[in-house]
Amino acid sequence: MKIKTLIIPILAALVLVACDDFLDITPTGKVIAKTGDEYRALLTYEYKYFPKDRYMTTVRTDEVIMDKSKSSSTDLDAYLDLWRWKDDNPSPTTTYFSWRTYYHSIYIANYIIEHQEEITDATADEISQLVGEAYMMRAYCHFLLVNLYAEPFTHCNPAVTRGVPMQLQADVNAMPGSSSVEAIYQQVLADLAQAEQYLKVDKWEEGKNYRFNKSSVQALRARTYLYMGRWQDALDAADAVIAAHGELEDLNSSAVLPNSFKSVENIVALERFSSNLFTVINMPSPDFISMYRSGDQRRTKFFKRVTSSSYALQKGGNDEYASTFRTSEAYLTAAEAAARLGHLEDAVDYLIPLMEKRLNASAYQATMELVEAMDQDALIQEILDERARELAFEGHRWNDLRRTTQPELTRTYDGEVYTLVADRYTMRFPTGAVEANPEIERWEPQVSE
Amino acid sequence: MTRKLQAFIFAFICFVSMMAQERTITGTVMDGEFKGEPLMGATVTTGTGKAIKGVVTDLEGKFTIKVPADTKKLLVSYMGYKTYSLTLKPSVNTYQVTLYFSDKSLDEFIVTGYQQIDRRKLTAAVTTVDISEETVGAVKNIDQALAGQVAGLSTVAASGAPGAPMKIRIRGTSSINGVQEPLWVLDGIPLEGNEIPAMENLNDIDDIYQTSIAGLNPADIENITVLKDAAATAIYGARAANGVIVITTKKGKVGRPVVNFSAKLTYNPRADIDRLNLLNADEKVDLELALLQTPYDYRQHKGGVANILDELGEFSTYQTGGWDALSPQAQQRINHLRSINTDWNDILFRDVLNQEYNVSLSGGSDKAHYYASAGYYTEQGTVKGVENNRYNLTLKTDFKLNKILTVGASVFANQRNQKSYMTDGGGFTNPVYYSRMANPYFEPYDALGNYIYDTNVQGRESEAPDFNIFEERSNTAKERKDRSFMAIFDAEFKFNSHLKLTTQYGLQHDNYTLTRYAGHDSYAMRKTKEYATFIVDGVRKSILPDGGMNKQTEAHTDQWTWKAMLEWNNRFNEIHDVELMGGTEVRHVETEVLTSTAYGYDPRTLTTQPVLFPSESIAQRYPLYEEGHTENAFVSWFATGSYTLLHRYTLGASVRFDGSDVFGVAKKYRYLPLYSFSGLWRGKEEKFLQDVDWLDELSLRASYGLQGNIDKNTSPYLIGTFDKITVLPGYIENVISAETAPNPNLKWEKTKNVNVGLNLAFLKNRVRLNVDYYYRRSTDLISSRQLPLETGFASTTVNWASMENRGWEIALNTRNIVTDNFSWTTSLNMGFNTNKILNETVAENSTYPSREGYPVGALFAYKTAGLDADGYPLFVAKDGTKQTAAEFFRLNRFGASTLSAEEQRNLYTYMGTTEPECSGGFINTFEWGDWQLNANFVFNLGMKVRVQPSYSPTYFDRGLNTNHDILNRWTSANPNTNMPALMVNTPARASEFTHFSEYNTYSMLDLWVRSLNYCRLQSLRLGYKIPKRFLAPIGITSASLSLEGRNLFVVASNYDNYLDPETMGNPYAQPITRSFIFGLNVNF
Repeated sequence: MKIKTLIIPILAALVLVACDDFLDITPTGKVIAKTGDEYRALLTYEYKYFPKDRYMTTVRTDEVIMDKSKSSSTDLDAYLDLWRWKDDNPSPTTTYFSWRTYYHSIYIANYIIEHQEEITDATADEISQLVGEAYMMRAYCHFLLVNLYAEPFTHCNPAVTRGVPMQLQADVNAMPGSSSVEAIYQQVLADLAQAEQYLKVDKWEEGKNYRFNKSSVQALRARTYLYMGRWQDALDAADAVIAAHGELEDLNSSAVLPNSFKSVENIVALERFSSNLFTVINMPSPDFISMYRSGDQRRTKFFKRVTSSSYALQKGGNDEYASTFRTSEAYLTAAEAAARLGHLEDAVDYLIPLMEKRLNASAYQATMELVEAMDQDALIQEILDERARELAFEGHRWNDLRRTTQPELTRTYDGEVYTLVADRYTMRFPTGAVEANPEIERWEPQVSE
Repeated sequence: MTRKLQAFIFAFICFVSMMAQERTITGTVMDGEFKGEPLMGATVTTGTGKAIKGVVTDLEGKFTIKVPADTKKLLVSYMGYKTYSLTLKPSVNTYQVTLYFSDKSLDEFIVTGYQQIDRRKLTAAVTTVDISEETVGAVKNIDQALAGQVAGLSTVAASGAPGAPMKIRIRGTSSINGVQEPLWVLDGIPLEGNEIPAMENLNDIDDIYQTSIAGLNPADIENITVLKDAAATAIYGARAANGVIVITTKKGKVGRPVVNFSAKLTYNPRADIDRLNLLNADEKVDLELALLQTPYDYRQHKGGVANILDELGEFSTYQTGGWDALSPQAQQRINHLRSINTDWNDILFRDVLNQEYNVSLSGGSDKAHYYASAGYYTEQGTVKGVENNRYNLTLKTDFKLNKILTVGASVFANQRNQKSYMTDGGGFTNPVYYSRMANPYFEPYDALGNYIYDTNVQGRESEAPDFNIFEERSNTAKERKDRSFMAIFDAEFKFNSHLKLTTQYGLQHDNYTLTRYAGHDSYAMRKTKEYATFIVDGVRKSILPDGGMNKQTEAHTDQWTWKAMLEWNNRFNEIHDVELMGGTEVRHVETEVLTSTAYGYDPRTLTTQPVLFPSESIAQRYPLYEEGHTENAFVSWFATGSYTLLHRYTLGASVRFDGSDVFGVAKKYRYLPLYSFSGLWRGKEEKFLQDVDWLDELSLRASYGLQGNIDKNTSPYLIGTFDKITVLPGYIENVISAETAPNPNLKWEKTKNVNVGLNLAFLKNRVRLNVDYYYRRSTDLISSRQLPLETGFASTTVNWASMENRGWEIALNTRNIVTDNFSWTTSLNMGFNTNKILNETVAENSTYPSREGYPVGALFAYKTAGLDADGYPLFVAKDGTKQTAAEFFRLNRFGASTLSAEEQRNLYTYMGTTEPECSGGFINTFEWGDWQLNANFVFNLGMKVRVQPSYSPTYFDRGLNTNHDILNRWTSANPNTNMPALMVNTPARASEFTHFSEYNTYSMLDLWVRSLNYCRLQSLRLGYKIPKRFLAPIGITSASLSLEGRNLFVVASNYDNYLDPETMGNPYAQPITRSFIFGLNVNF
């Protein structure tokens, strides 16, 4: 009897313990992030699947042509209505610009920011770097969203113009409305200031240089101020980039293209040029190519002549070509800001190092003479054209057209002429996003106080 | 020594004298239910004394028994029959006894899968269906057998494809998320793999899948018990929230070996697509001609007319000048189209003849029983090339090893083979769908018999690869091969008449191979290749090599379940009965899926070619090998008890704790106790009713219980999945993909369940009535909810609602006429279920209304009031005014509504529910001598269904055929119609045009909600027993023939433009076919 009273509880306890073990099954491949490596892997996923929308905006610019007889049917399905700015009722096969993917990246960024105290098995520097990248990620996503889906800062009253929803918390129950354009820009700048505090890495080694580093803060800051028309701030930030990361790829001697992740120019190689646009459509506009002066190395390095009137793009098409921030952009931003501020000589000085590395000797001479003789308006135009030539097909053109003169581009397809009117410079929210949250489309301009 | 000898002699004398006092009784036992048939295997005993003696009747129902001379009575019994007490007369030694069916509810035991419960103590709501051809007809699968048999169990066939499973619901829907199917239990072991996957797209119906119950042969099944209320299901725990279906297979009976052979021949005539009301060639040509003169320009170069005009360069001539401006050649060619009327019905579908054979051997003795069977059936679909077949092998034995121990073992093995067609996103390769879409004037072959490609077939892409349905069918294949093996071992230790230990171990192993093959010359392959076109080194080409594609999926599911139960019962003072049972169950399930894809496949040489991917990111889009693995474990404890007083008052209770592995969940959430209480009063046993002659039974049952469920896929934490990728070429890195939204607030879903039941029998059991009322209240229901995309996720799982189901179940069995050689019995069962959502947290972002106060299947639509002067739908606003879409939705210039989500929700009107308000069956059996006639009707009443719009006003594709609704569309010449106009983008109505083309408002119009009520004659069967005198000379014990018609007709509310009422919502579903079955059943 005594033995029984002892044995039964012991047996029962054993059974219960065994059961808990039996039930402790970790599903294959599943994980709840705890360690620094695991948090890093969460962020790497966002880097990997980061939208390539910036390159897709190329379709809406004067960089690309489409042709009924030459373009393939899958290209026409996916891009024709984007290309001819038919936004009201595009064919249902038309490719969409991303929405949720940005916010998923923002969610993970917020998640890392909120959980930074709980990260294990990592040094303080590693955690700090991770948090800094998260701020950069959040800033860059909001920056891209506001430039895709809201009116350009320089063409509206940003304080009362509808921007995009802003997400600063990892909360699946949140249901934000849209914030103003001004509020989004301010948040981007605030996040950049945070990132600056946290980031530790000056330069990532090759292969990991898709990650945000210290210079990328200044690079994005320069671009943000440029889009806001705050020239002095843009100039200061661009100067900081050049000071830290001023080396340029010399196309007269180097075989590496400047938008390769292996290029000395690369600051962050996040967005990749391997999207369909470069592997499928691949029809650079001959008119656009005619912007390159003779003696410009980029004309032959960026493009390959296929027939007398058609070209193929060479600066994209595989994963090697990836660039979000690179040094040339900083020189061009600095030059434009200086020119806008009336410092024409400074502006030319910023152009010189780039011109040297892009043009052959005689063309360099000729171009410099031309540039030095320009007045302010002509110089600004020349810098903008240079921006188009240098950053061609890298997703800058659309935003540059938007923020500057918003020219009425025209295209002809199958006998019909299409015109890019000003309101088509801003794309509407994706239907799926509006369906999932009608609040984002509602906007009653607040009176600024 | 002497004493021993004395004792021996004494004993010997006694023995001899006893011998002398014996008498021999002989007799025949006849089957009272089957006139003139002897009853084999009946037991004849001397009753309950200590020296009990007994024999079993032979093949002719004869018995011989030696009994002590003073024996006054013999008891003759047979399972399922009323025991007969035979009074022996002193001088008569030969008797004839006739046994009749027992009053079933009184004598039987109910098998719950854990216990056998005496019906007299049964407090729960259960229904048992005997599975025989007489009761359920010639069914191919056991899920079909339940249709219309059980009150409160509704079955809906989603498709008429061979092997397509039935959607079964017991007492309505209690859970929204995930599993809604009941739990299936085979001889005590719960089966895995009976969840019917949710169909997100309508053409997912073409995905072939097999449930594990589809592997069971109906011929091996003795009966099926459906457990409906909490008193019955609580012991199964969380998995039983949707009810439990317990299958009991056949077992050998004591007696000489019996061989049974049955064969069936089934003839299915092809479906008739006339019901679809498709346009004929003449009408289609007229439509195309008319459209070409309107501004509606979506795909204006599609269709036979436009093809001819384009070819002759007269397209614009016709648009400006009309018919008279056309050249005689164009006119002649267009008119020629009118003369062609390809009969798609005839060439895509076929009549089929199917076969089924079963043979079984069974028998047994006091010590052992055995049952062995083999079965084969094949079912070809009326859609050419669609086929399903099954081989079964079943072995079942049990042995009584000694007084205490009985052991048993059974093996169920089967192999199934299902063939179907490959499908694509557009659905054109589905013959049922294509028969609706193909132009009547299109001929699939030219004069030489070569394929002609249907250039009008394309999805939403602007150009489509060559497509010909017959080429497609001969060069593509989809085949699934299932092999299942299940073994059950059980042992019972009966220590004494009070204490029993049973243990059972079940092993289920299912695996299948799914092969999808697309040959080089197929639309599927052309399309795949087209999508895989990239520019590599400046050259545009498909990266896939020449040849076909072969995709193989291999999946294994392994399950084992072990359970042990200790049962104790006793009776005190003759009036207190106590039964207690406690036990434990451990279950482990593992699933593995491997998918491999090969390109450049040549089916003749079985060779493949490597794919050269231009970049890693492209390679990732064409995974050649994928692997998945899941593992789950469960531990449970359970107990039940009952107390019965005076044989008429019973109280019962049961409880179960389920534990399972839930990743990322605190341990305290692993267990939730589920329980029930119940009671029974058997009124007929009361003194004041015992003398009421006309009343045979009056019992009242009541139960209360808690059922529950948890979603294992949602965690409070952000759960990710590991992967290896490269961001920049050449550098491999780990990533964690976290695409499932976490929800820290998720709780168990709970259902409280009340059941009250009444069993009545009167007029000598001629009328039996069972009525049950139930009330189920579910709280914290789990469902998936769409999230604002700005959260970063598309949807999450939340506790969103509480809901109640209440309803009545009525089962009325009557023997209307019973004479010596004629009888008519009917069985009517009906379930009335009302479902109401008590509260629902509608996502703030939802534009579809809350179902609060409405049923879970509530359908909402926009009320329309005809069309406006442009043929655009007019909406009825809440204030009764008629408004255009622009006014109704307050559209902005992008066609988006500027109303808040809540305001948009309020625009809808409730239309009805998709779940039947009343469903049931009506079964009639007539017997006349050796003839038997059965007629089984099933009905589902009071449903609504949302059908697909006949055409889209903005994307109507004139290259395809459609039904007659398009001819009735609004035009200036036909303004009095409710069918909207084909819309074109005009500045005046640009926002509405965008709205109708981009948002799904159009399919939400009340125009597309139809009533659904139907009653189907499921089975009409005539059976004939061949008289013994013909059979005896050739050594056959009994034989019967039958002729059955299934699905002969259906009476339904309007289902014009559709093949069957059941498949109205889905244009891809294969029609439910009629069949005629000839059956033969022989016993040796």
